[in-house]
Amino acid sequence: MKNRYPIIRTLIILWMSVVIVGAFLMDIPRMSILEHTARNLYFHVPMWFTMMAGMTVSVVYAVRNLLQPNLDFDGRSAAAARVAMLFGLLGLITGIIWAKVTWYQGTNVWWNFDPRQTFAAVCLLIYGAYFMLRRQLEDPEQRGRISAVYNVFAFTTMPFLLYVLPRQVQSLHPGADGNPAFSDITDPRMRLIFYPAVIGFIAIFWLLYNQRVRLQRVGRRVGQDR
Amino acid sequence: MRHEIPLIWHPVPQDATADSQAVSDAQTAYDSVWADTSMPVQQSTGLEAQLLKEDKLYAVLAVVLIIWLGIVFFLLRTDRRIDRLERRVDTQNSDS
Repeated sequence: MKNRYPIIRTLIILWMSVVIVGAFLMDIPRMSILEHTARNLYFHVPMWFTMMAGMTVSVVYAVRNLLQPNLDFDGRSAAAARVAMLFGLLGLITGIIWAKVTWYQGTNVWWNFDPRQTFAAVCLLIYGAYFMLRRQLEDPEQRGRISAVYNVFAFTTMPFLLYVLPRQVQSLHPGADGNPAFSDITDPRMRLIFYPAVIGFIAIFWLLYNQRVRLQRVGRRVGQDR
Repeated sequence: MRHEIPLIWHPVPQDATADSQAVSDAQTAYDSVWADTSMPVQQSTGLEAQLLKEDKLYAVLAVVLIIWLGIVFFLLRTDRRIDRLERRVDTQNSDS
């Protein structure tokens, strides 16, 4: 496993480099308002996919930790949540910028409490509390158990906040009523980059997650408990 | 003929003339300062010409690629540091 890591890492870096170049060079349909910002599809949307994937990894290890208490499971759960949170924050920020030049073009508005954005922000706040909770608990085993329970709660809110609720209300964001998100109307040329971009960003998540897990292991061996 | 580029070929903001304030609302205040500036007219060549294509999209690609390479550099460096730490902890544990 260990000696295969550099090969996998190189493949991920090459893959992502090709995706970035393709995202800029591939021809896309020019739509009014969107223009070249449609290329944000390759970067902004995978942020949320990656966050969901990362939080899934996190909750799996949280549940495993509850079933069979283990500091390594807890560490993995926390590391995955941390890196997933980074992608969520990047998704929110890139969304704000994208909205500024499309939905709010010509106004001075950056944030107008669009339901989709608001629910996404609430989701990040719920996960923010997870890290606050972890900091307050001194005993590693207690920290592992309590934060795992909270993790399960936070994870169950995510599909509702990111998927169900935004589709129940009117929103400027694609994916609301009468405004399909990524669907069969999306130009097939864009799928050619979009799907590899999702895979690539999840792979980058894995690289960062892996680093944190390794650091924790070394830390535990020298007697550092967080 | 070689185009002569003065040291400062754009008007500095204080020098913005009165007629530049009459520019239409479609232009921002920033534009009004720069709108009547004459640009060097020589043809872009080589790398610059490439970067300017497609509404200067390739310039953005260059920026993003540089950022990406910077991140990759950091990623690899952190991996190396973790490798070193792991080796050091391994040898310390086998010593004691």
